Amino acid sequence: MYANPVAYIFSCIFVIFAHSAMLVNIWFNGNFSEPRDIAILGAAVIILDIAYFVAILFFKQMSYVLDFLLILILNMSVIFQSCFICKFNIKHYITCIVCLAASKCGYMLCKNHKLLQDKKKYIYGGIGILLMLVLFVDLVKHDMWIRIGSFTLQPSEFIKPLFVLACATSIADQQKKHKILCFNVVYENISLFCLMAAICLVQVKSHDYGSLPTFISIYCVGFILRICYPKAKFSKKKLFAVIAVIVVCLLIGLKYAPEYVQHRLHVDIWSDKTGDGYQQSQALIAIANGGWFGVGPGRGFLSNIFAFDNDIVFATVSEEWGLLYALMMVLTIIIITAVPLFNPTRSYYHATMSSCIAAAFIVQMALNIFGSCNLIPFTGVTIPFISSGGSSLLVSGFMTGMLMAGQSPVFRENKASQKNKKQTEAVPAWRWKE
Amino acid sequence: MNSLNLILCAASIAALDICIFVLIITAYCEKRSSKKNWHELAHDMELAEKDKIYDLGCDEVLIGRHASADIRLPDLSVSRYHAMLTVSNGIWTIKDIGSKSGIFVNGNLIHETVLHENDVIKLGNRRLIFRKRRQERVR
Amino acid sequence: MKSIKRTQRVTSIIILLFILGMVVLVLKIIHESSFYMMNSDKLQLGYVYDRKGDVLFDGTGNGSYPDNHFLDVGNIIGDDKGQMENTIVACNLEKLNNYNFSDGLLKKGGKAAIYTTLDHATNRAVFDAYGYMEGCVTAYNYKTGEMLVCASLPSLDVTKGYENINSFEDGTLWSKTLHKTVPGSTQKVSTVISALEIMGSGLLYSKSYTCNGKYINQTGGNIDCHNAYGHGTQNIQQAFENSCNPFFAQLIEDNDLPFERLKKQYEKLGYVLNGAKSKYIDIDGIQCETASTTLENPYEFKTQWGCIGQGDTLVSPIQLMMWESAIANGSGKMTMPYFIDHVTNTRGSVKDKAKTKYSDKIFSESTASAVKQIMLTNGSDKYSYLISGYPVGVKSGTAQVQEGAKENSLLVGFVDDPSFPIAFCILIEDKDSGWITTEYIAQILLDNLKNNI
Repeated sequence: MYANPVAYIFSCIFVIFAHSAMLVNIWFNGNFSEPRDIAILGAAVIILDIAYFVAILFFKQMSYVLDFLLILILNMSVIFQSCFICKFNIKHYITCIVCLAASKCGYMLCKNHKLLQDKKKYIYGGIGILLMLVLFVDLVKHDMWIRIGSFTLQPSEFIKPLFVLACATSIADQQKKHKILCFNVVYENISLFCLMAAICLVQVKSHDYGSLPTFISIYCVGFILRICYPKAKFSKKKLFAVIAVIVVCLLIGLKYAPEYVQHRLHVDIWSDKTGDGYQQSQALIAIANGGWFGVGPGRGFLSNIFAFDNDIVFATVSEEWGLLYALMMVLTIIIITAVPLFNPTRSYYHATMSSCIAAAFIVQMALNIFGSCNLIPFTGVTIPFISSGGSSLLVSGFMTGMLMAGQSPVFRENKASQKNKKQTEAVPAWRWKE
Repeated sequence: MNSLNLILCAASIAALDICIFVLIITAYCEKRSSKKNWHELAHDMELAEKDKIYDLGCDEVLIGRHASADIRLPDLSVSRYHAMLTVSNGIWTIKDIGSKSGIFVNGNLIHETVLHENDVIKLGNRRLIFRKRRQERVR
Repeated sequence: MKSIKRTQRVTSIIILLFILGMVVLVLKIIHESSFYMMNSDKLQLGYVYDRKGDVLFDGTGNGSYPDNHFLDVGNIIGDDKGQMENTIVACNLEKLNNYNFSDGLLKKGGKAAIYTTLDHATNRAVFDAYGYMEGCVTAYNYKTGEMLVCASLPSLDVTKGYENINSFEDGTLWSKTLHKTVPGSTQKVSTVISALEIMGSGLLYSKSYTCNGKYINQTGGNIDCHNAYGHGTQNIQQAFENSCNPFFAQLIEDNDLPFERLKKQYEKLGYVLNGAKSKYIDIDGIQCETASTTLENPYEFKTQWGCIGQGDTLVSPIQLMMWESAIANGSGKMTMPYFIDHVTNTRGSVKDKAKTKYSDKIFSESTASAVKQIMLTNGSDKYSYLISGYPVGVKSGTAQVQEGAKENSLLVGFVDDPSFPIAFCILIEDKDSGWITTEYIAQILLDNLKNNI
């Protein structure tokens, strides 16, 4: 299974090399008060690198490139987050380890789609429970988070991977049409739409408008891929109809959005520098202050501003490490989502899953980056992997695990369903001569 | 900002660049190896017609007359979406997905069946043979 | 296979859209970065120079200058303290900041600077000539549009801070050249332009009206002339030289001057009529108010008084000066003034080099040459001794302000010399409080400009 040992060894070396270069930069450029802190940070990062490289040997996968990308970006984020506070960020470090574990869980869970398809009702159940939890938390505490010690969990984040799975597992049943009155109806489509509507309603109810676009994008990608299945061609009529419906829904949504949402859409950050536009204007000033190569790790002023480590993390990284480095960081995340393009998945199920995850990651990233830079209204979503925040990292790790599953799939039916199938022995009657 | 800072920043950007580049190369290496892996998983089978060979590249292969089908058989006796080949545990199964003329495997009209090596599949007027993939240099 | 390729296509479209967004974002950030930086509290401002390299504003705060060195340009050059918003520095802070995206904010050695077209020596001389009196002077090159003089009294030395801001006199913190004031008889230039444009010079010169020192118009309004004995029967040239109010009142009433066309022509000149929303002329980011007046009925006192230069009519000195350029150029197009000749970036390379721009045509060439002739004749008849050595075309004016309690003296004009193309506007507030006259200031202005540029 370890088919490319040379490539893997080189990957290991260069991942460590990239992290070391960052650490060297901190050593000479950084604003750490004690060299001991840098030593701890360096040791932690390199040890985690090596430990993970050893750990993945126990997983027999066809492809490891996503593992390398994941450890690369996670340790980058550990270094970033440590620089923001000028000492080793142990909390983020632990969260990253949890994220790595979550990725492996995701991989184990999703690599065999036949298995998951039989357990579909558990996915729907899980989403239902989480939605109840979101509602419950909102009603009781008027909040989006559950706090356990110093870690915070956001239940609505966990709906994302389950929703991706729901989209992907419903693919196979797409062909089972049922006739109700004179309409050909696919139960899966209806249930998925209801699920989507329920998620949207709950999100609106709990005032979490930030993650709405992510869900909508997952659903759109899932839907576009489903309506054409198994036909391998886009039906243009359907596509345009879907786009028209989405646009109309968006317009209606914007028209009747609550006042504070409307206000956000029209705020001019420069005329309201100290009020609503504070974070964004400070973020833009920080990017301008950083220039191409940054002011040096830990020397930025943005780390004094609220939400520097999640909502405007792009600007914080950009100030301390330079715009070029921030762009490279974004590129790394793009490549994680683009791995299925280099190396196509072997089943439509995994391909759908990969596309949905790519949509989720990229929409989140776009909302965060463009929002903090005043291209679109500011929402409080996180950049996957980079932003601090337990649930966000955990879910990002899990979803990367799902991408890994697409790269190293297993096609095996579970024994129960295999027994049910009648094995018809085909008797060769005649041979076709060549 | 002095020049040392600039050089170090540029160096760490370059290191990240190189790392990403190496990982992309790794991804390409894996593309080849995972293709090999896939053939192992799928028992290295292919569909062959008189002068054409169809690769079975994923776990669900659609056969039909429509331009969008994975294996396109431009013959009026074949339905637009005729049959679906699926694999699990390395076993290939053929399934009728609402064709008009039906599927004959080794002469028997079937709805769904497991395929074995050298089975002959008849879809309309077209005959396909399900066989072990041949090495390219043999041909 | 094909179906898998489709999912790849969807993914790649999403990624491409995102990358496109990132490209837009990066371009936007690079393009607007200096604007962002301007909004931060960390600024490293450079210098503002006059046309000869004399410092008009020192953003570094390190240089030492004679006492009141910046006094004469205080309220047009301004500073970055935020007390004055309509000044060259405040409106162009972005250009003055020693920042660009690749180099970052330069703590020292940055060469960002604004090179203005002002002439500090002349400005100073004119400023000093006012003595204790107040008012403003503005002058520019009507061929190129370079602003040469822009002084407004009272003014302030920005280096001295704003601790005693409460004791500042009214009008210290803004340049009077940019703000509307009562034009007095200088308004008659606009009325003559309009009449010429509508009637043509043949018809206008054939008109003659009688002034008895007082004229009762068709609706019973009383138009007084400053000469209580009357000027007798005059043509347009004589009336212009005499600045005769009854003549112009009768001209407005004349049926050969259709009122609708008069209003159109006034709007073309840039007047905002009858309380419509006011507009601004943009000069390097500085906003200059445009003229406004009330024109309702040609037979009413208010309208006639407005065309004579009292009543509701208000014009800024800069706009009065710009009309002179359209006359002096003979083209009927105003030369748009500018303060900033060029700016240099942090590395000292020149950018944003100013170009001469013209307005739309506001009146015809024949009108321009006829008005020019009238003004030049006025200049040679009445001002050749007062402003000696220059072929000037001028119009003076006396404006009553504060309901007649005070009188302001104005003088607009131009020098008809291709090698010395200067248009100017001079305002002396409360002229009876001192001995200086607009002609005296004009003489000093032109002499200094002649010597200094």
